[in-house]
Amino acid sequence: MQQQQPQAQPSPSPKPKKKVRVPKVVNGVEQMVEIEVDADAGPGWGPNDKHKLLNQRYTRVDGPLKATGVAKYTYDQRLPGMLYARVLRSPHAHARVTKLDTDDASKIPGVKAIIPAPLTEVRFAGAPVAAVAATTPEIAGDALRAIKVTYEVLPHVVHAHHAIRPDAPKVLADENNLAEKAKNGDAQKAEAAFATADAIVEGEYFTARIHHVCLETHGMVVDYRGGDTATIYASTQGTFTIHEDAAKELGLPINAVTTTVEHMGGGFGSKFGLGLEGLLACRLSKQTQSPVKLMFTRYDEFVMAGNRSGSWQKLKAGVKNDGTIVALQARQYRLGGVGQGSQAGQPFIYRMGDTYREVYALHTNEDSSIAMRAPGFPQASFAVETLVDELAYKIKMDPVEFRKKNLRDEVYHRQLERGAREIGWSRRNPVAGGNTGPLKRGMGCAVGTWGGGGNNQCKVDVTISRDGSVLVAVGTQDLGTGTRTYTRAIVAEELGLGIKDVKERIGNSKLGAANPSGGSTTAPSLSPSVKDAAIKARMLMAERVAPLLGNPKPEEVLFADATVSANSRTLSWQQAVAALPAAGITSHGEWRADLQARGIHGVCFAEVEVDVETGHVKPIKMVHIQDGGLPLNRLTMESQINGGMIQSLGMALWEGRVMDAQLGMMLNPGMGDYKVPGSLEMPEMVPLIDDEDKREAVIGIAEGCIIPALGALANAVFNATGVRVRETPITPDKILMGLMNSTVLSRQ
Amino acid sequence: MKAFEWTNPSSVGEAVKMLGVSTPGDIDEAPRPIAGGQDLLTTIKDYTSRPVRVVNLKNIRGLNQIKVSGRGLTIGALVTLSELEEHADVRKSFPGLVEAVHSIATPQIRNLGTVGGNLCQRPRCWYFRLEEVNCLKKGGSECYAANGENKYNAIIGGGPSYIVHPSDLAPMLLALGASVTVVGAKGKRTVPLDKFFTLPSEGNIRRENVLKNEEIITEIVVPSSPVAAHSTYLKFKERESLDFALASAAVAVQLGDNREVKDARIVLGGVAPIPWRVPAAEKFVTGKSLTPEVLAETAKIALAEARPLEKNAYKVPLAQTLVRRALAKAGA
Repeated sequence: MQQQQPQAQPSPSPKPKKKVRVPKVVNGVEQMVEIEVDADAGPGWGPNDKHKLLNQRYTRVDGPLKATGVAKYTYDQRLPGMLYARVLRSPHAHARVTKLDTDDASKIPGVKAIIPAPLTEVRFAGAPVAAVAATTPEIAGDALRAIKVTYEVLPHVVHAHHAIRPDAPKVLADENNLAEKAKNGDAQKAEAAFATADAIVEGEYFTARIHHVCLETHGMVVDYRGGDTATIYASTQGTFTIHEDAAKELGLPINAVTTTVEHMGGGFGSKFGLGLEGLLACRLSKQTQSPVKLMFTRYDEFVMAGNRSGSWQKLKAGVKNDGTIVALQARQYRLGGVGQGSQAGQPFIYRMGDTYREVYALHTNEDSSIAMRAPGFPQASFAVETLVDELAYKIKMDPVEFRKKNLRDEVYHRQLERGAREIGWSRRNPVAGGNTGPLKRGMGCAVGTWGGGGNNQCKVDVTISRDGSVLVAVGTQDLGTGTRTYTRAIVAEELGLGIKDVKERIGNSKLGAANPSGGSTTAPSLSPSVKDAAIKARMLMAERVAPLLGNPKPEEVLFADATVSANSRTLSWQQAVAALPAAGITSHGEWRADLQARGIHGVCFAEVEVDVETGHVKPIKMVHIQDGGLPLNRLTMESQINGGMIQSLGMALWEGRVMDAQLGMMLNPGMGDYKVPGSLEMPEMVPLIDDEDKREAVIGIAEGCIIPALGALANAVFNATGVRVRETPITPDKILMGLMNSTVLSRQ
Repeated sequence: MKAFEWTNPSSVGEAVKMLGVSTPGDIDEAPRPIAGGQDLLTTIKDYTSRPVRVVNLKNIRGLNQIKVSGRGLTIGALVTLSELEEHADVRKSFPGLVEAVHSIATPQIRNLGTVGGNLCQRPRCWYFRLEEVNCLKKGGSECYAANGENKYNAIIGGGPSYIVHPSDLAPMLLALGASVTVVGAKGKRTVPLDKFFTLPSEGNIRRENVLKNEEIITEIVVPSSPVAAHSTYLKFKERESLDFALASAAVAVQLGDNREVKDARIVLGGVAPIPWRVPAAEKFVTGKSLTPEVLAETAKIALAEARPLEKNAYKVPLAQTLVRRALAKAGA
């Protein structure tokens, strides 16, 4: 490893600099630019192909615990005297609670507390109205049904195409249903540019609201028994996002509340902060002076734990016969229910000449959308990748070549070429729907980007004890992404140890601070701090053992294969740690900007087989190529890529929230009718790490992996069938109806 | 889940008595029998049913046997779906039945769910299943599917309720000419399956079959017939891993010396409130060879009565495809 080698003599001023490539987006067109950063913060990661643990494949340290059921999640917490809480939800999409009669409910034996929800006007069906704490969850459930709520029912609207009408019921008090949020570009220039186009495509694109479907539902256990302190067991993406608000609710000083997150069962953007579930649990715990567990039911999870913003996009683009896109007009509606929704601005990452876009929030009486893995990006990607595909077919240009023509960044070019080889693009019939027989194969592709840079929030301690044990401690949380594992691995590699020789302590707000896991920022925020702490621990230890090794400089001491050596003298690890003081040594690591970067690229190719007599889409193969600087663990990076493809596949073909206009409710709030793909739906999946990315820096990649598959699958369905379905999920009914009448799009 | 009394009869007679207590409340509060519980428990959890008493049938001896004789197949109501699927004689002589069972739910559910329970399961319509919605089938005044989100609802035989019958066994058993033995307060009766299921327009709108509250199915009798060997079940699911039928076709045929159809049974699933037999199509195909033209015309006739709702017209070509393919397969 490079950092193990003797360092060159420090050069005098000026400070050494290094160049880092970062993306810069101008008018929707991404460009990579080089910037200079300080390079003197310490040794770097070294070349990506010179690592012993990092950039290798190693299994998760918590894998056996999870596979055997030993891992304890928030859902598994059972404390002595613990009460169970449940939430009463409004059946009305818009109503005012005028009376909450809890007399009968509070008389049920075992019911310990009933509290109202913070708001008395509910704006979506499923909104909380009250919460109950009881000695069993069943009693809590009975109590919910015994609460008599009087509602003043108000008019509601849950479908976007109804909500946009001027006479539609108003969803929010302080904002119109259709609220302009942004305008970019020059409308007149874009309009004029259409005159120079040889062909024009105009279409409306929809993506359904989908759900995170965390296998562990939202919830917390608040352990407060009336004393001076409280502990919160949380299923959260942010260990440090809870105790402050919880302390406020409990009436305790902030440092009296500790949050712990030992294991958590999925968040995907939906689990930050105390949340309503935590707030209610705190209030119930404070009132009863007992530990309270409030975990959402699966129904709760669907109706009131948030969702991915839907989208409705009206796009018009013009193209020249040589493949140059010359103009784009976009009208983008973010469908975020009572929230603001999210949607990346068009033309997303394509270069489209003169562009003009208007972005609106379009409100409905539905639970607010919240962040979900790459918020707003798959929606924008689906629309623009479909549009780009339509343009390519219209001028009879290969969709891969067409993309290269309109993507400036050459990373996409090489990834597109590799993806085309991997999927066997040359086997594809360029005529959409052109294959014979009812089972028709087709292929499609799409590209995606994300930031993935880190920030300065993580404080990491590494302790080496005289017994040889090594502990790395930081309050961060592992969402299932492998945080525990690479935290260990970075330290183990730095100290020349194996991954089993290091233990980690995470998931506790009394440990060193860490950032919440959102925006793919965890690895690029945490790993530099871990690396920094590990380097410093190595130096501290090197100083201690130097007298045993002929007094080398600390940076000249080599840590490798569980030995410590210099000047041709070698100590075993146990011999070396014997030189440490009785208390061992502890180093403190801080974030270093030079160990991380931002700006990633991904490309997805999909092959599907469509039965045009039933509308069934069978995904055959998916290939996703992803860059991301230094992969901390190739195995978990491949898992992230696979996970992104799977979630995108679900969004493409099955998943969608169904709302009834009249009742204003979600009709499929369960795992039966909300159709998450299962094992039988899985295609051959090929996750590829783009090792041509030589950046010696950690970059978050989780969100990049979910973006392009949606468009790739939609385009593959078109290539197979000749039916352009511009609305997700692409279900058999839409394909059959598309085949029956050509209103979806004329067949090519 | 509403609290209920749990009882454990050891005989059919005792079970019928325990089910027969009259309850003043709603029909959905009446005692319910439980076998595998794979559907009943979901309805209890949803408060769609709120029985005051649950009568466990699992301790009744003799209801979990599969008997094969020259006369046919007798399947005890408590036989699990897995047991039926794996039974050697069934696999040999009733291929369509095995395909139908295999298409149901997941291995875990098939390990617990019973044949009797499968026939008696309640509809999957999401309006029916949502606790907050008081639809026609739960004593309300409106079928919300009629003008609502009716993608999965009936295209044939609907009105005033537009549920589809969720059972995969029912269409196949009906095609095979099966009947059920029903025991109630007045003793035993045999009900041919084509008289067992009831349309919302003709039977009790709150129920899907002729069973009275205190009656239970004890066995299913599938007669030996020349069509059984050429039987097949094609089910179309949106999601292969776990799903109910968007449409299905149960077909059984007897072929003549020149491979012409001598006898045909065609029953559609997932498109009507009951398993929907299509005699006109059966009659058309009888006496003919299964040419592509004949298959297409038979499929067209099978769906001639379809009157789709706003969002389920796709079921017509889908079901036609299934009829065509199932007939071709059965006649191959």
